[in-house]
Amino acid sequence: MARENNEGRGSSRSRRRRSHRRFRGRRRYCLFCAEKIEHIDYKDIDLLRQFVTDRGKIRPRRQTGTCTKHQRQVALAIKRARHIALLPFAGEMR
Amino acid sequence: MRNYELVFIIHPEIDEDTAPELIERVENLIERNEGKVTNVERWGMRRLAYTIKGQDEGSYVLMHFELEPQRVKAVEQGLKLIEDVIRHMITRREE
Repeated sequence: MARENNEGRGSSRSRRRRSHRRFRGRRRYCLFCAEKIEHIDYKDIDLLRQFVTDRGKIRPRRQTGTCTKHQRQVALAIKRARHIALLPFAGEMR
Repeated sequence: MRNYELVFIIHPEIDEDTAPELIERVENLIERNEGKVTNVERWGMRRLAYTIKGQDEGSYVLMHFELEPQRVKAVEQGLKLIEDVIRHMITRREE
């Protein structure tokens, strides 16, 4: 455990490289383009959950790999989902 | 006429017998504004992501309807006046 915690300090070179990849699975493509999803539904909370952090914030494109067009749609869908209390504005999910 | 989608949350203390009445009130509201309800779907009791009016759960209803765009405001206003609807949202529906 203690060793893992030290990882971020970058002791060895190979480790250091890994510490930069703090976001799961460097996905460099847009999920929605790949899946050919045209319309992002605010009711699809299981999908939207992947695009918010555990504190409820919208995850940036640099983390999720979403393209500009779809990021806009995702953000809108998340905001709508928040309005009808399907997603939290802040704080973790229950 | 344009297609819209409405989601609203019914106060959790409204029991199952009176809920249909409330849903009908909403339908009437739309029809009074020359709209046409095309689909009603109940999701049932759900936990809210945050408290609304001191409640942490509510009964969700999804409704699809057609309406003249200039009438949306009136429907919105009408929904606000129904106290047992603790939250609502109207969005445009593209085919």
